[in-house]
Parts: sequence; C-alpha cells; structure tokens
Amino acid sequence: MTSNDSANVSFGQTFAAGIWNENPVLRLLLGMCPTLAVTAAVKPALTMGLSVIFVLVCSNIVVSLMRNLLKPHLRILMFTLTISTFVTIADLFLKAFAPDMSETLGPYVPLIIVNCIIICRAEACASKNTLAVSIVDALGMGAGFTITLCVLAGIRELLATGKVFEIQVMPGAFVPWAAMGMPVGAFITLGLLLGAVNLITKKNS
Amino acid sequence: MLKNIKHFAGQSWLLIVASFVFGLLLAVTNAAWRPRIIQNEINKFNNLARALLTEATDFEIAAEAVEVDIGKGKKIRTDIKKGISDANECVGWAFVCEGSGFADKIKLVLTVDAGFEKLSGFGVLASNETPGFGDKIKNNYFRSQFVGAPATQLLLSKTGDDKKIDSEIVAITGATVSSEAVVKILNNYIRQIKISMQAEGLVNNDE
Repeated sequence: MTSNDSANVSFGQTFAAGIWNENPVLRLLLGMCPTLAVTAAVKPALTMGLSVIFVLVCSNIVVSLMRNLLKPHLRILMFTLTISTFVTIADLFLKAFAPDMSETLGPYVPLIIVNCIIICRAEACASKNTLAVSIVDALGMGAGFTITLCVLAGIRELLATGKVFEIQVMPGAFVPWAAMGMPVGAFITLGLLLGAVNLITKKNS
Repeated sequence: MLKNIKHFAGQSWLLIVASFVFGLLLAVTNAAWRPRIIQNEINKFNNLARALLTEATDFEIAAEAVEVDIGKGKKIRTDIKKGISDANECVGWAFVCEGSGFADKIKLVLTVDAGFEKLSGFGVLASNETPGFGDKIKNNYFRSQFVGAPATQLLLSKTGDDKKIDSEIVAITGATVSSEAVVKILNNYIRQIKISMQAEGLVNNDE
C-alpha cells in the first residue's frame, strides 16, 4: 500500500497490509538489522517492536500533518529530523523506566533512526495521505514488525534455552540448542520463516 | 542579497521551526527524566562497586568532583567513593572513569584496594561498543585480568597468558580498539586519581 488513497482503501485493509501482504520483515525485507540482532529472546524483541510502533506512529503523524508544507528536496532531512527526535525520546524513556532492557538492547534503540521501515512509511504513506490513514498504516506496519520479531524470538528462545518469555516450556530432558541464541540462529530461523511465508503465499495464489 | 535571504527563508523555514520545536521537546523530556536516569546510574554504580568490592557494605563520597583530564583538553569531574565494611573500615575505593571507545563513550566503574596498590576490578556502566566484538569488554574473561592487577600503568598486548595477573592485559580478539580504549581509560584515571588522593591524604604517598 505504497500510496494509500483514503477514499478507496479501508482502514482495515491498510492495517492488515502491514501484518501480512506488506509485512515489513517477511515481505518487504526491511529492518533486517534489529530483526537479526534483538531476537535472541522475546522480551527484548517485544520492547524493540513497541519502540518502533511508538516512533512509527509519532513520525507518521508529524509527517502527515506537514505533508503540504514539505519542500521535495528537503523532505528526507525533515523525515530524519522527525524520526531522530522520537527515537531519542524512546531511548530516554527506556533508560529512565527500563534500564536493564535499555542495556540489553544497547545501540539498537538509537539505531531505529536508520530503520528503513520508518523512513519508508514516512515517504510512501504519511507524506501522501491523511492523518487517519497514516496512523493506521503506522499501527499496521508496527504490529507486523512486532509480531514477526516476537515469532522469530519465540522460536529462537525456545530452542536456545527451552524457555519462552523466560518461562520454562520444554521438558527437563530437552537439550538446549545454544547456536539458536547466536547470530547463526537468527539467520537460520529468519531464512526458514521467509521460506515458509513464500510457500504459503505461492499456495494461496 | 535580500532576494537570497528571502529564498533561503522560504525554502528552509519549516526545517528551522521544526528544529526548534523538536529541540524544545527533547529538552523538556530530558529535564523530566534526567533525575530518574541519574538515579538508575547511581544504583548501577553501587551494585557494580559492591560486586567488585565484596567486603564493602556501603559507599560514601571521600572526595567530590575530582578533576580528570581525559585528553584533547577535555576535563571531567568524578566523585571518589570510599567502600566501608561492616566494621566501619575502609576496604577500597570506587570511582567512575570515562573516555572514548570504538563506537562511543565508554563509562566504567573502577575499584581499587584501600592502599591504592591493587585493582579490585572494573565494571561497565555504559558502552555502545560493537555487539559481538567490542561489547566483550563486559565479559568476565576480559575483566578478570584486572582483578588483582597492580594499580600502576597497565600494558596491552595482543598475545600472552590472560590467566596471569600482572600489569599486562591481553586484548580481546577482534576488539583491539575497545580493549585498548579500556586500558587507556583506566591508566589515565589510575594515574590522575592516585595523585589527587595522595594530595588529599586519602592514601599514602609512595613516591
């Protein structure tokens, strides 16, 4: 839904596009850096997802509101300025209210500034659509990103530690597969997930 | 000239206004949450220092805002805290050290024994070093080399025995710059803090 027209695309369709048809990770292959880096466990993945939703919604609101005032050659500068402001707020929030999580995520929170999903939605949706469509698009894309991260993290955490959300799930006899908690585990799981999504898409079409 | 200024203002007014508005928003947010962030850092400092100086049950400021030159003419103030045991004896000293790392500023907690002769170790307070490489400065196998090392100039080497406790620190493979940064920060603070403490009579002057 790169140039949503609020007249003929419903909010439901716009939201659903972010979850499946235009899922930023599984279909558009955007935001690969946090997808691979913070999915060793569900908690950091969920925190990253929620931070991205906050930044996406806020930046889409601001970009949509000033879309008629934007000079074409200065728009990327304006997007970056907007995104970096909200990322800094998210970073300060985590440092103040979730210091342990802030430390776990490390530089990946400030790196949301260069997350392609956010600048892509600002350029493709918010700068061309009304406020309502931009908010729904941000929520859909953010939810799609968060769900994917949590699914990926859930699989990795389960296989690497036998736990999900730090709660023991696997039986005592289960031998943890340590590699799944390492970068190699992220690449393998993402690859398999992408393959599965492609297979489902092909079958459905 | 006036035409150029008008053109510039016409093109960039939104950017200038947005910069002011966003700057104000960040300033307000920072002012609101900064005390909480500082308190979190103090708690983290105390936890790290307690883990390194196991005999210490409490920390109190022994010297406030000691000035340390961190290079390029930049000076930073740090508090020197005294670790106190149950018997109300000084069991060591702890202070925050900072300097440039590979990616960003590195903030460490360094603890030394009561006589400022041996290091009790260091903990990482804040670091944005490269995940998987530079962030290994937080790992025990690197940090354990500093526990019991002499509180003098430390030397960094790329090879050697990392189990041997002396002034030679073996760098982390693939993270030489971060290892070098830690050793440089610690050397700088050990030298300057020791001089300041000797001047204030907190430790014996051995020179």
